[in-house]
Amino acid sequence: MKSAFRTASPATLSHYLSHTRCSSFLNPNPLLNPTSSLIYTTIHHHIPSLNVVVSKPSWCHSLSAAEPHAPPCTAIMDKEFETFRQHLDESGSLRDRIKGVASEMESTNRVIHSLLLLVHQSRPVTEVVEKVQAQIDVLKGLFSQLGEIVREFPGQYYRYHGDWKSETQAAVSLLAFMHWFETGTLLGHAEAEKKLGLDKSEFRIDVEDYLVGICFMSNELPRYVVNRVTAGDYDCPRKVMKFLTDLHAAFRMLNLRNDFLRKKFDGMKYDLRKVEEVYYDVKIRGLAVNGDATAEGIEGQQ
Amino acid sequence: MLKLSSRSLFKLCFVMASSRKPNRRIASEATFKKARTMTTDSSSSPNPNPMAAAFSQYADYLNQFNDKRERVVKASRDITINSKKVIFQVHRISKHNKEEVLEKANKDLAAVKDQYISRLVKELKGTDFWKLRRAYSPGIQEYVEAATLCNFCRTGSLLSLDEMNAELSPLSDPSVEPLKVNVLDYLLGLADLTGELMRLAIGRVSDGELEFAEKICRFVQDIYRQMTLLAPIMDDNTDMKMKMDTMLQSVMKIENACYSVHVRGSEYIPLLGNNDPSCPLMLPDLEQ
Repeated sequence: MKSAFRTASPATLSHYLSHTRCSSFLNPNPLLNPTSSLIYTTIHHHIPSLNVVVSKPSWCHSLSAAEPHAPPCTAIMDKEFETFRQHLDESGSLRDRIKGVASEMESTNRVIHSLLLLVHQSRPVTEVVEKVQAQIDVLKGLFSQLGEIVREFPGQYYRYHGDWKSETQAAVSLLAFMHWFETGTLLGHAEAEKKLGLDKSEFRIDVEDYLVGICFMSNELPRYVVNRVTAGDYDCPRKVMKFLTDLHAAFRMLNLRNDFLRKKFDGMKYDLRKVEEVYYDVKIRGLAVNGDATAEGIEGQQ
Repeated sequence: MLKLSSRSLFKLCFVMASSRKPNRRIASEATFKKARTMTTDSSSSPNPNPMAAAFSQYADYLNQFNDKRERVVKASRDITINSKKVIFQVHRISKHNKEEVLEKANKDLAAVKDQYISRLVKELKGTDFWKLRRAYSPGIQEYVEAATLCNFCRTGSLLSLDEMNAELSPLSDPSVEPLKVNVLDYLLGLADLTGELMRLAIGRVSDGELEFAEKICRFVQDIYRQMTLLAPIMDDNTDMKMKMDTMLQSVMKIENACYSVHVRGSEYIPLLGNNDPSCPLMLPDLEQ
């Protein structure tokens, strides 16, 4: 019966039909049995019947009596929803403030990144690091600003986390890259927080953000190795390879979920492979100095 | 078998790709193996992975947290299933069994709270309310839906967020921060409530309880009107936008059903007393 109705409905008449349909349930008039020809006639019969109903309100007085009374619950609901609106407005303006800081972070990150890219052009590390340091102070300021804002709403760090997540990841990757230049070691989670002046703050860096940042950093290394070798530093691939191998092994200790971090980690093996290839190229041509003689760090870079 | 062989093929390819340096690879395996035992003695191993100690900490943290998330997801799923049962119970309402149906629904709802929400509270232990929100939000939304539906059927008014949280607070240990339904989940739950109320209203219309249906209609209109202000400013409003569309559909379905009986009422009312099962009440068809 249902489908008979539906297939019988031309689109233009569907509105009328839907009412015809329900009226026929309420008023199971045997004449209204659904054959398509009958439906059309019902429509025409029912439209005049509208007038009849309006002029004959006897049956609907019970309904109309209910209508004018202003439901008291509306007022209560108004109040309830007004508080929600205030709450959400506050939350929205907080979010705007966070986004403001985050966008400043992003541009600072970009400046730092462009400065760090100088290392690909064989500029001395000390010079690069010096330039970057000033920007890191800016970043530090921004993070403490962010910490201040979030502190106003205790316990809601993760409500707004998405708004500074990618900026934090980028900042960690830059800091870790720089730290590796300076020391040849991996920047730890606590050290990263310390560098951003967060070690005494309640505002902390999420561990997963830190790990994603480290993955980003590994993406930068193959290019660095290629450029160092071109510049004649044949020992660089060995050091980078050792570092990346350790890093990759360390990451494999983690049980990751199928999320963004997992994807980034999966990409890391290609970085490692690229570095291995460079190392191989250098070694097979006898270009590599006997690695064990030189010290671990990269400070030796001229 | 096929899967296995393709995997080992991939492995072979990988080894071949890096086989220019086979001994280095083996060395890396060895480092990794060592890394696992590193936490107990890091100084004695000849060539330890310097990062292993830190990473075993991260691993512990991630393991713990992911386990917690899984448990919270499970708790949330149980809340969903059982809240759905409450909602179905409410839909069994009819003109004559109102009291008993609602009483049973209320009892079931209390059971959901005491058994399943209390488990969620226990798993969360007063922390990570926002970090794990995505894990438990579906369950809480369903609970909001069930609780507000029951409350509406009993009192005809909206169960407020504060009232609901007051009911939940005894579940939490007084020493930790109590689990509170947040505004977002509450509103998302209310959005779903309109869908259930639509079903209820259509059912009431076909049962002849026109005043109840009209009451539902006004209530849902109120909710929809209020929501239009809130939906755009909610935290992550893609979900809500979709629900707003669905909500409008539901509101209109109720309005149309009320309109139909209003217009056709003159023909309909006399037949009400006639409980003839042979005349099919096909109003629920409107839901589609």
